[in-house]
Amino acid sequence: MIDVQALSKKFGDNLVLSDISTSIQKGEVVAIIGPSGSGKSTFLRCLNLLETPSSGSIEINGKNLTASKKEIHKIRQQIGMVFQHFHLFPHMTVLENLMYAPMKAKGVKKYDAEEKARQLLERVGLAQKADAYPNSLSGGQKQRVAIARALAMEPELMLFDEPTSALDPEMVKEVLEVMKDLAKSGMTMVVVTHEMGFAREVADRVLFLDHGVLVEEGEPESFFKHPASERARDFLDKVL
Amino acid sequence: MNLDFSQIVPYIPFMLEGIWVTLKFVFFAIILGSILGTLLALFKIGSAKPLRWFADAYTSIFRGTPLILQLMIIYYSIPQLTGYDISPFLSAILAFGLNSSAYISEIIRAGIQAVDKGQLEAAQALGVPYGAMMKDIILPQALKNILPALMNEFITLTKESAIVSTIGYLDLMRRAQVVGADLFRNFEPLLFVGLIYWCLVMGLTVIGRMVERRLKLSD
Repeated sequence: MIDVQALSKKFGDNLVLSDISTSIQKGEVVAIIGPSGSGKSTFLRCLNLLETPSSGSIEINGKNLTASKKEIHKIRQQIGMVFQHFHLFPHMTVLENLMYAPMKAKGVKKYDAEEKARQLLERVGLAQKADAYPNSLSGGQKQRVAIARALAMEPELMLFDEPTSALDPEMVKEVLEVMKDLAKSGMTMVVVTHEMGFAREVADRVLFLDHGVLVEEGEPESFFKHPASERARDFLDKVL
Repeated sequence: MNLDFSQIVPYIPFMLEGIWVTLKFVFFAIILGSILGTLLALFKIGSAKPLRWFADAYTSIFRGTPLILQLMIIYYSIPQLTGYDISPFLSAILAFGLNSSAYISEIIRAGIQAVDKGQLEAAQALGVPYGAMMKDIILPQALKNILPALMNEFITLTKESAIVSTIGYLDLMRRAQVVGADLFRNFEPLLFVGLIYWCLVMGLTVIGRMVERRLKLSD
């Protein structure tokens, strides 16, 4: 579904991603882990062109992402993204947050958009918050709304950029539950995370990045038990 | 002190009519200034270099010269250059609208840049087109932050509108001068229109507060 070839990204002279190649299958859940500053988030943001790669290519469903600047809206509509800091639209109610993009970007009718939005709120357990404004929600609730907002576009792929890092500890679980649910439903997911438990339990594959290099990838079981590289071993010693 | 307000009583209807005359062109000038100002602000933050250059040059010229000069140039030069006999009303709208747009564009630019960059990224990630994103996501949030500064600009424009009296437009200020010349007493009519200007500005202030309160609904 996603095919990344020799992806590199420079900020000025600073090489943040170096020659990364990997591919992700439909329905796969991939966790990206690594120390801060390793380029995890930048890699994720390249997948929907929030960052423009310096070189290399990204293909999604056979379409070259880097070549088609004009079609970028259409491609992004198929890729949901969840941010660390939620980025809900503060001047819209929860329901409006969910309905806005389907109506504006895909031309979905208001009635259909609302029905879909209410379904999704039900799914993330926030049906009663439909008419609330984001500022009145807790962090965990905001992130669940953000996930629902991304799902409202009916994406084929979901990107998560440290979705639980800005949350109070007691709210991490409710967000991870929603994500687990989503993984079970067969959604293709790429998750940048510091939640090793989640990576271990839910991911089909783990990518370990360090200093912009894809050092190691593999199944969670073997990766967490017997990391092949020195750097991964070091990292896991520190976080586990 | 020999203030005698009874003498201006017959002229009061004449001066009150000035409220409407002043408000009429101030209203159109604010509309023109807001539309142009928004466009210029979008030029300034956009990626097209020529547009950015144009908007910066425009702002520099209209902020860098006196408003009364711009008004005179428009009023006297358009007939000279094109033969079209421009009315004081139209000159006033143009001069005030064009001048104000330079200031408003700076206010809006700052407002847009103060909106969290994440809002832009969230809209982009959802595949929302640029125009819709600006209109529905970025500008409404920017507007909330800049409303006090914007109201300030509108208040300044309302008061400075008095300089159209210099091109013979019969606004509030001009009417006070006419009455003053008629009576050989200037203080009373000037004080009278001064009070009216103050009331107009108070009205604007109240409207501003109301809008602000409405926009705060989501907090």
